[in-house]
Amino acid sequence: MGAALEGSGVDARVPDAALLIEFAESILRGDGARQALAREAVYRALGAAALVDAAAIVASFNAVVKIADGTGIPLEAAKAAATADLRTALGIERFKRDP
Amino acid sequence: MPDSTQLDASDLPIREGLERELKRAWTRLASPGTWWSAAQRLAIAAEMRNAHACALCRRRKNALSPYTERGSHDGLGELPEAVIEIVHRLATDAGRVKRSWVEAMSTAGVTDEQYVEIVGVVALVTALDTFDRALGSELRPLPAPQPGEPSRKRPTGATRDLAWVVTVAPQALTPDDPNPYAVHGEKNIHRALSLVPQEVFNFFDLDVELYLKDSEIRDFDTEYRALTHAQIELLAGRVSALNGCYY
Repeated sequence: MGAALEGSGVDARVPDAALLIEFAESILRGDGARQALAREAVYRALGAAALVDAAAIVASFNAVVKIADGTGIPLEAAKAAATADLRTALGIERFKRDP
Repeated sequence: MPDSTQLDASDLPIREGLERELKRAWTRLASPGTWWSAAQRLAIAAEMRNAHACALCRRRKNALSPYTERGSHDGLGELPEAVIEIVHRLATDAGRVKRSWVEAMSTAGVTDEQYVEIVGVVALVTALDTFDRALGSELRPLPAPQPGEPSRKRPTGATRDLAWVVTVAPQALTPDDPNPYAVHGEKNIHRALSLVPQEVFNFFDLDVELYLKDSEIRDFDTEYRALTHAQIELLAGRVSALNGCYY
């Protein structure tokens, strides 16, 4: 799970993880040339439909964070309790902001 | 293996449901909202795109605390200063928004309802533009505004109790209020925009096609996309981490 948050993805034990991680990184942080390389790599390895779905997931999670951050909505209490250890282990708690 | 020389965004196969919701999202963006006119919603969208070229936003992004950097935004001149401040900050540094800043925007004259609708518009345009950028498409020109007036209806049961903004708890809905939870569920992230129910529909009608419906997220017996659940969550986790998202 931690491989989703940092690193190249090679330790994720998810098929084509490194390609997908580079795709996400390039769209959010890369220039046009890096994005084109990453896009083509996903396309060649996984196909056109997977590229569209990867783009859609990046779009979704790049957007929904605006709602969470802009409104200060908390995580559901039950979900926070159920995932407390995991969130601490992964370092997600560092993203929690001061009020 | 696909031929890489054929990679052209306009040739890529967009799922029917996704195509439908993308089209509807652009139409909704250009339609009168609940508290902002169509022209104002499009001005918010244009200002969001413009924020990435704003010198003040760049200084704030690089500052240890964005709240120590003063100055004026490089705005497009179509919206009040307080609205430009909201749009630029949500566009460029949303992860460091604080409750006190949200309250200050209210003091500066932006109502709770207007603020929540801005959040909805910023999120929607972020989704639309990120999708196009990820596929290598040019940013689409913003559409022409549609005629009509904002509906200006505030849900009766709205209170400030869970978030920094006023929300409507599912149990506080009245028969006269649109039910923002009827289609996509009652998670807190849906409730975040519930002061302006139409914004819940505007964003999540698109989002369930970009990502997955609530009922599909943990249905590991079925793959709904060309990516597996594991691949989807890997991507989602990395994007959330890059954005410093705690949710």
